[in-house]
Formats: sequence, structure tokens, C-alpha cells
Amino acid sequence: MTEIYTPKSIQEAISFLAAHPDARPLAGGATLIAMRNAGLIEASHFVSLSEIGELQGIAKTGEGIRIGAMTRHRETAECDLLTGSLAVVRQAAGMIANRPVRNMGTMGGAVSNADPAADYLPALACVDAVVTLAGPDGQRDVPVRTFVQDWYETALDEGEIVIAITLPAPRNELSLYRKVARVTGDYATASCAIAMDGDTIRVAIGACGPGPIRDTEAEETLRGHLANPEAVTAFAGQLAALADPIDDVRGSAEYRLALIPRLIHAGLRQMKLAEVA
Amino acid sequence: MTDQTPFVGGAVGKSFAKLDNAEKAEGKALYIADLYRPGMLHGAILPSPLPHARIKGYKLDAALAAPGVVAIVTGDDVGDGRMGAFIKDEHAIAKGKVLYVGEPVAAVAAKTEAQARAACRLIEVDYEELPAILSPEDGLADGAPILHENLATYFKVFDAGSQGNLAARTVLEEGDVASAWDDCDIIVEGEFTTQAQAHVAMEPCGALAEVDAAGRVTLWSANQSVFRVQANVSESLSLPMSKLRCLTPRVGGGFGNKMEPHIQPITVALALKAKRPVKLILSREEDFEMVRARHPYKIRMKTGAKKDGTLVARECEVLLDCGAFADDSPGVLGYSLLMCGGPYRIPNLKAHGKLVYTNKLRFGAYRGFGNPQVTFAGEQQIDEVAERACLNPIEMRRRNMLHAGDGWFVGPEVASSGLAECLDIVEKRSAQARADGTKRNLGFAITAHISGLLGTGAIVRMLEDGSISLNTGATDIGQGSDTVLAQICAEKMNVPLDMVSVASPDTDGSPYNWGTTASRVTYTTGRAVQAAAGKVLDQVLRHAAEMLACDEDELELRDGARVGKIGSNTDLPYSAISARAHWAVGGPIVGSETLVFEQETHDPKRAVALGLPFPRIGIFSFAALAVDVDVDDVTGETEVVEAWSAADVGRAINPRLVEVQLEGSFVQGMGYALYEEMVWDGPKLANPSLMDYKIPTSRDVPDALHAMIVEDPEPTGPYGAKGAGEIGLNAVPAAIANAVHAATGFRHRHLPLSSERVLNGILSQEDVA
Amino acid sequence: MTKKTLLTLTLNGEETDVATPMDATLLETLREDMGVLSVKRGCNQGVCGSCTVILDGEPVRSCLTLSARCKGHDLRTIEGYEADDIMASLKQHLTQSGGIQCGFCTSGVLLSAQTYLAENPHPTRDGVKSALSGNLCRCTGYRTIVDAVCDAAVEVAR
Repeated sequence: MTEIYTPKSIQEAISFLAAHPDARPLAGGATLIAMRNAGLIEASHFVSLSEIGELQGIAKTGEGIRIGAMTRHRETAECDLLTGSLAVVRQAAGMIANRPVRNMGTMGGAVSNADPAADYLPALACVDAVVTLAGPDGQRDVPVRTFVQDWYETALDEGEIVIAITLPAPRNELSLYRKVARVTGDYATASCAIAMDGDTIRVAIGACGPGPIRDTEAEETLRGHLANPEAVTAFAGQLAALADPIDDVRGSAEYRLALIPRLIHAGLRQMKLAEVA
Repeated sequence: MTDQTPFVGGAVGKSFAKLDNAEKAEGKALYIADLYRPGMLHGAILPSPLPHARIKGYKLDAALAAPGVVAIVTGDDVGDGRMGAFIKDEHAIAKGKVLYVGEPVAAVAAKTEAQARAACRLIEVDYEELPAILSPEDGLADGAPILHENLATYFKVFDAGSQGNLAARTVLEEGDVASAWDDCDIIVEGEFTTQAQAHVAMEPCGALAEVDAAGRVTLWSANQSVFRVQANVSESLSLPMSKLRCLTPRVGGGFGNKMEPHIQPITVALALKAKRPVKLILSREEDFEMVRARHPYKIRMKTGAKKDGTLVARECEVLLDCGAFADDSPGVLGYSLLMCGGPYRIPNLKAHGKLVYTNKLRFGAYRGFGNPQVTFAGEQQIDEVAERACLNPIEMRRRNMLHAGDGWFVGPEVASSGLAECLDIVEKRSAQARADGTKRNLGFAITAHISGLLGTGAIVRMLEDGSISLNTGATDIGQGSDTVLAQICAEKMNVPLDMVSVASPDTDGSPYNWGTTASRVTYTTGRAVQAAAGKVLDQVLRHAAEMLACDEDELELRDGARVGKIGSNTDLPYSAISARAHWAVGGPIVGSETLVFEQETHDPKRAVALGLPFPRIGIFSFAALAVDVDVDDVTGETEVVEAWSAADVGRAINPRLVEVQLEGSFVQGMGYALYEEMVWDGPKLANPSLMDYKIPTSRDVPDALHAMIVEDPEPTGPYGAKGAGEIGLNAVPAAIANAVHAATGFRHRHLPLSSERVLNGILSQEDVA
Repeated sequence: MTKKTLLTLTLNGEETDVATPMDATLLETLREDMGVLSVKRGCNQGVCGSCTVILDGEPVRSCLTLSARCKGHDLRTIEGYEADDIMASLKQHLTQSGGIQCGFCTSGVLLSAQTYLAENPHPTRDGVKSALSGNLCRCTGYRTIVDAVCDAAVEVAR
């Protein structure tokens, strides 16, 4: 039997987790309860984050757009603030599973779980999002790009929870998220989050390693050469070199590596067309 | 006018809403998980973690002492009884050995499901691990460990040639294939593989067993045949059939998964031991891992033709992974070989194959029953021959296809065939351009399927008020057989549909019905219903003649369930006739019919057959399929844009229900063709969950999926009807593969046509170019 | 015996006290402790949609929702729509269209469809398909379901 504790503030949640090492924070439940139902986890307590006001909502702040950890995918998928350079995040949210799951799952939960094939992390990496963590030692910020440290392992220390994800203010740019999957709403076999800013692109590849793959140096090298297919291919090669894909039921490592340059070229073509239109 | 308006006469051919729809729309249908009995316990199963091992002993103390636990059952609690549709090789629960990861090893009955599952985890089993066989080839290798050491002693329904790990072998041959190749101008050869597909009925398997004071068992379960449940439980638990009553709640789909036993024997064993009712419902993961799946096939096929495309010869060799128990596998082997020539005139045809035991879950009945696999190979080779003969795929098929009056391979007669019309329709409709003007990538395939098989009966009773009770023992698994059979009965009796009530299958009261499988219920049970209703009608007319003092040939049936004298206003309602029968003359009116399909499969003048599992099989439905696909050349993702499925079902008793069969089976076939695949990681299933095993969603199916009914009445069918449940799936993988070939130039011989495979095909063409 | 706590839930407009395990899912509480059998356990992983219920007007997976979290929220199952015109039209069309076969997915489908039509005065076929993409059906191939929802939409608009 797992008990349910429902704190009213971040501090209460942190204190409780510190005092109960077998307690787990519960965000939307889309992943945690599914795992509990499958007998994969047993917790002394679920610390429900659903009543903590500070974790709710999407708001404009001085730093950009702050998305509370408990923001449901549905809200993110319908958020008008996520335009231009941030549209990629909104698109990714809209491609998660289906409506009922989007009504339940949260960005904080998804980011904490760090499923390599899930949709947010490449999109968030593409926009240089920052994750705010809170723990017994206070709050700290970790860029999404370094948040995932290994397969299903994140920068979260014992007793810490994600409280918000902050995106830089939207810029007037094109961005898009594409996922290759077996059926609608499936996890990604491979995905590509791409934003174009005049003469350069920012690209993050998903489902090809433990975390999203981005290479800012390669992006800088590519600056001004977007119209040169060989340069784009070389750029894609840099990302593929950083990738660490596995063979699984969705596809082989080889297939994922083959998709990386193809998705980048295709994404660039799509954005060029949108630009012209 | 809606379909619920009371009509007068002519139930056949009308698209009535199913009799169970209202209840299902209200959320009031009760499936096995929704049944409760006083004092009921909940069951859970401990699966084997090993693919092949001897069981040395069990430690049950901790589990017996766990909260809520009432009883535990292991192989020690069941005798040596064995069940099996063709080879009786399976105990009620693992006994002495385990043969696949996931095989039930022990079961617990406790006050709640959570307690039962928790207790299972406390059971210790002492295994002596044995080397495992994970492929049919390994199973046949010299010195391979033997799964069924007592195979020679098992009862077998037909001579399957079983020995070692070879569960069955079948050889069928007509003409002289070996020398026929010399007469061929065109020869195409290829090796094909197909994957294991999971049924994924929305309802997982479950059962509820209760024992009365006299030791008689009542068993409800999700099933496709109460009689197969009865036989299997009876055989595996050595329980006389008179001590076992099997019943059916609403069933949430089957597709073959529920045709043979799942956990019914275990549930009965638990109830007998606990001396309380026990309900056991599988989780989705257990449904994937414990029950059954579609056979993976290896196919070697060679097809030869004259330069004008006339088919001369085909050889088809198959190797089937049987899994740990034979289940329906010998039937699938034999049936797929019987069908591997396709609906064509091929004078020389050799079909042979082997079924090999492996340490995986049993493979068994699944919509199509081996036909989709061989059609995947055969219908692509037809296209390959067509290409070499410079014929388009339709012309090639038209030139070679079977017609009514022809014989099928090995001997059965084709008495009716609407295949030509099916092909014409799909040719014409697919020739229309896409609305947006982009190019179509078309693939075609044709197929046949047999319905008939084995025993069935029907009992029709006229109740005191003149309404009709129909009892056939056929399980309606959602496809609407209750409704269709009621329509046949209503038509024969000339009554409105709502005057017919259909009894739920019950081994106590229903006549034997082999099962809802093999596309057989409309044709086989429908025949029995029509005949039984005819006998009731005979008695009605006899009574009416006496009551109206005239000859029977002066009578006519009239609207509103009445019989009248021709040319006069005098008539009698059925209720008056029934009253007379009940209270005065003759006794309550009952008509019954029992039959087994009687035409021989094998004509020894025509063919040689060794290991043919079906001495008498059935009659033929036909279908043609055209599919239009788009292939994304960036990723290899394939989308079905439009599809046309035309099937000759003899007579559509309920046209809408036939269409839904064609559409539903198309989508299930599409998933099989494009992405559904059970994947093993060594001996363990890697994706036994809906997270990792994906079936099509509403957004993955083309809007433009056209199902078209063709009717070439079957002389022996009820009102000409024949089967429709499986034929819509057979041709799907082949048609999609042919379409992908049209789109990419690459011929795929391995299912599924995943985006990865399709991209590799595209890339290999780029290399060539 | 499993320890149960008393939870106050508002189901189909009625507040009820239910004895249910503290960490039970809504699916378990509804079926085992409240006798609501129209919600089905198809996978217990949130994928199949047979367990769909409406929480505060939104479709969610009852198999992944903790009952303890539902206190004070508005919970509806198919039984709660008996007086709803949109639902009546949906049921009638689904019954006629061929969109009900085995019926295991039906309650979930109807709830998802009703929610979509209730909030969309201008429903589209694509919108219907998106609304239903979380309800798996293995029997029908979906066309007859989508047709029924679109037909109900036309009727409701009138």
C-alpha cells in the first residue's frame, strides 16, 4: 500500500521527500502510475504535486516563458505564447500520445523521467530551455542540453524535483518538430527539432541516444552555408557522430543513424518552403 | 425509415443493428471481468521465467501464509490429462517441465487480485534449466534437446508424422512439379519470412469457475467456443463432460486468441481446490505472453509460367514455428499449404512443410489461419511473373484465375465464384485518379478462403406466444453472429427480427458447435438454423392445415407471423398454432438440425496428400484487393492512402456487418503488414505491452477504405451465404507489398514492411541507380 | 484484508462516500468499490482507452488516475450522460452505423466523442479522428465509428 501525501508548497514537498527516502514525487501519473500498475515500482508514498500553485501555469517572465512543472501537455500544445522559435515545443507537445494522456502528463514529469524516445527533450534542447530544480539545498538551474546525463538518468539529485522549465522569449523564426513513429502518438523512433534563424539552424535529434543531441559548434560552422548540401550533410555527420542509438523494437541503431541526415535535410527543405510562402 | 422500424418478412439482406448494440452503447454489457459470484476469490498466475526447464519442486509455504490466500495450484494438483486440438500435448498447467517463458507454473486464489499477485511472487520453484530451442531450424538439428519427450504417446487426431521436435509435416501435390519447370518460360523464386502477430483483442482473456455441492463445475469464460472450452477442461483435468457446464458472457473480441483454451483449466483447478468460485483475468502483458499468436513463417516459393503468363507450376515449402504446444498449428500448416496456390488454375502444384516445436508461446489460430502468410509470397510472385510476361497485374490474374466448377488444389469443388466480379470492381474503382491529381502507387492481390468445417447444430423452438427461440451454441464475439443467425431464422419463419430471441451458448442446453472460427458460423451454423427453422415451419403448416381444414398447399405465410388460406381472409397467428401444439395436439413445436460438413477435401485421383488435417473442409469465398500507398522517401514510412476490398460472400445476410468485417480485417492486416511485430530478446518477448506493440489508431487508417460486397450464391449456403470473417485480411500484406514495389521499385520479402525496411529498399535502389 | 479509506467522490453529479484503498486507481475504485462496470481494464497502462472517464470535463485514463486525487472534482462515466442530447445522438448513430462490434471500446469511444462534440460547434472529420485517437478499437477499423460521430455532429448542429 502506497500512501498519498499532498503538500501545498514546494518546500513541503521537498521536506517530505527528504524525510522519506522511499517516497516518489507524483506529477501527472501518466508514467509513474503505469509503472506502478506493471509492478515495476513500489513506493512508500506518492508525493502528489497537484496542489502546489507555483508549479502550475505558463507565464511570461523577465527571462522568457516559464512553464510550471505541472503544466499538462494539453495546455502546452494550445499555448499561444509558444510561437516562432518556440513553436517546436508546442508541436512536440501536440504529438505526445493522444488527448487523454495529454490531459494528464506534465512537462516536469516527462523531463524528470527522461525517456530517450519522448518528445519534449529534443524540442527543449533546440530552444535552449533551462530546467529549474528545487531540493533540500535550494533551487538551481540546469540547461536542458546537459540535464540528461545517461540513459534515464538526469541531473536531479536525491530529493530534488523539477519545478519549472524556462524558455527564452520567442523570436520571429521558423521552427518545427518532426517525429518518425510507427503509429500516431507512439514514442519516437527518431525525431528532429529544428529552428532556423536566417543564416543558421539549431537542431536537436531525439531518440538516438540517452538524451537529445545538439552540437552548437557544428551549427556555428554551418552558419551562412545552409544552401550548400554538402555542408549540411557534414553538419548532420557531426550530430550522427555524437549519437548513441540502440536497437530496439522501434528500429535499429543503423536506421536511426541513417535518419539523422535525412531528417535534417528534409526539415531544412520544409522550412525553406515555409519561408518562401 | 430506420433499421428499427418493424418490417414485414425478408430479414435476409437487411443491415439491422446488432441485437447486442443497445446494451453495449449503454455500457451495460457484461464481459467476464464484470461477473461476480458470492464468495468469489480472485486468481493470479505465476509464469515461468525460463524457456525450458524441469520442475524439481515447489516451495509454497510463504505464499500460502500470505494475506488473503486461500489455495494454490501447481502441476502436482492436476493429473496427467492432456488437451490439444490436433495433438494432445498440453497439461492444464506446467507439469514436470516448463516450455516457454510465460508458461503458467502455479496459480493462486486469494481474496483480492492484488493479494493473489503478491502471493505468486512468494512462490519458489526449483528449476533444472535445459537448453532452449528458439528457432524451428534449431529444433530440427541433430542432437537438439527434445521438448516433448513423450510425443510418441500423445493422442493425435490425424497422422501428422510427429517425431523429435517435428510436431507435424504435410505434403500435398498435384501434377508433376519436378518436371514441369522444363515447360516454363518464366520462373521466379524467392524466400519470404513473416513475423509473429499478436491478436490484441481489446478484452484480455479471463475465466470464472464455480463448483456446486455435487462437485459439478460451472465455468464462464471469454471464449470463441464453449464446446472447445468444455473438451479442453475435461481432457486436461480428467473431468467428465457431464460434470462441467460452460457458459459465455459478452466477449470482447477474439480473432483466434480465444478459440482454444487459455486459462480456463487453471481457473477450474483453482476453484476445485479452493472450494470457492474463482475469477482469473489476465493482464494485458499476460495476454501477450501466455496465450498464443500468429505463426511466424519461412516460405520458399517458386512459380513458373509460359511466356504468355499462363501458370504452369508452383512449389511452396514452409517452415512453421509451432511454439511450445501444438494447439491449432497442424491445422494452420495444412490449411496454408492447401491455399498456397491461390485462386488460380495451376496444373502442377507441390506444397509441403514442417511444423517444429520451439520454446516460445504456442502459435495458433489467428484470422486467416496461415493464408495471409502464403498469400504474401504467392501474390507477389504472380506480380513478378506478370512483369516478365509483360502483362499488367490484373490481366495476369484474370488469365489464370479459377472459376466456378473448377476444382481447388487437392480436390474440393468450387461451386460458386464471384472472383471475376471482385477483380473487375477493384480494377475499375482503383483506376480513378486521386482527387489531388498525384500519382497512385497501386498493388493488387486476390485470395480465397474456406468456410465450413466440422460440426454444428441448431434448435429452434416456438414459444407459447408464437415467438421463436433460437439456440445454436455459436459464440458471438462481437461480429454479430447472433444477429445474422436470427435473421436467417426470421427469414425462414417469415417473422419480424424482434420475434426471434437467441440463446447464449451453454453446453447444458445448446447443440454442439465447434466454434466461432474459420469463417464458419454464417455458412455452417446458418445452414443448421435454416433447416431447423424449416422443420418448425413444417409443423406450423401441418397444424394450420388441420386447424383451417385444408391442404397444406392451400396455405400461405402472411405478414405479422400468420398463416392463411390462399384466397381467403381466414388466417391464424403463430400464437394460436403454438397454443394448440402446447396444450392439445402434437406437443411444443421444436425443430432441430445437426450437421458436419460432408464433402471430402482430398480427391485421390487428383492429388497426393500426406498429413492433411482436414478430411472435409468447406466451401469457398473469394476476394480481390487493391491498395494505393504513399511512401515517404525520407523515412520509408508507408501510408495506405486508399483501398478497395471486394469480397464474394455468396449472400450478405447483413450487408453492414459484412462490410465491417472487411474493413476491420483490412486494418488488422494493415497493422500486420506495416508495423505489428512480436519481438523476442532471446527467449523472452521484448514487447509484451501496448506501449511497445502498436496497433493502428483512428488516425492511422485511410478514410477512403471501400468495402464492396459481391454475391455469387453458394448452392449449399443458407440463402446462398458463405463466410466473410477472414477473407478481408488474407490479401492485405501482399497488396501492400505490391504497392510498395510500385512506389519504390523494391520487392519486399519480409514482413512487416517497417519504415526501416522500406527505407533500406529505397536506398538499395539508389545504389543500383 | 486490504486497508480501505473513506473517500468522497462526486460521480455523475452525485456525491458518494466510498471505501477504497488509499492508493487505488479510479479504475479500481469505480469497478471494485462502486460497481461501475462500464469502465474496462484493457491494458492498465493508459494506452487502450477502454478505461476512459471524464474528469472536470476532460477525458482521462482512469487506470492512471489515483482516486485520492479526485476528491472535489467532477467525475463522469457513461452512466452520467443519460439525459445528454449529444450522447443520445451518438449512441443512436453508433448503434446503427456498424461502429459497435465487441463493444469493449464503446464506452470510452462515446465519452471521448461526446466531449469533442460538446466543445466544438464546428466539428471536422479530422477533429473527430484526433479526438478518438486515444481509443483503440481492434474490431471495426474505425470508419463506422468516425461516420457515426460525424452523423451525430450533423444532427446535433440542427
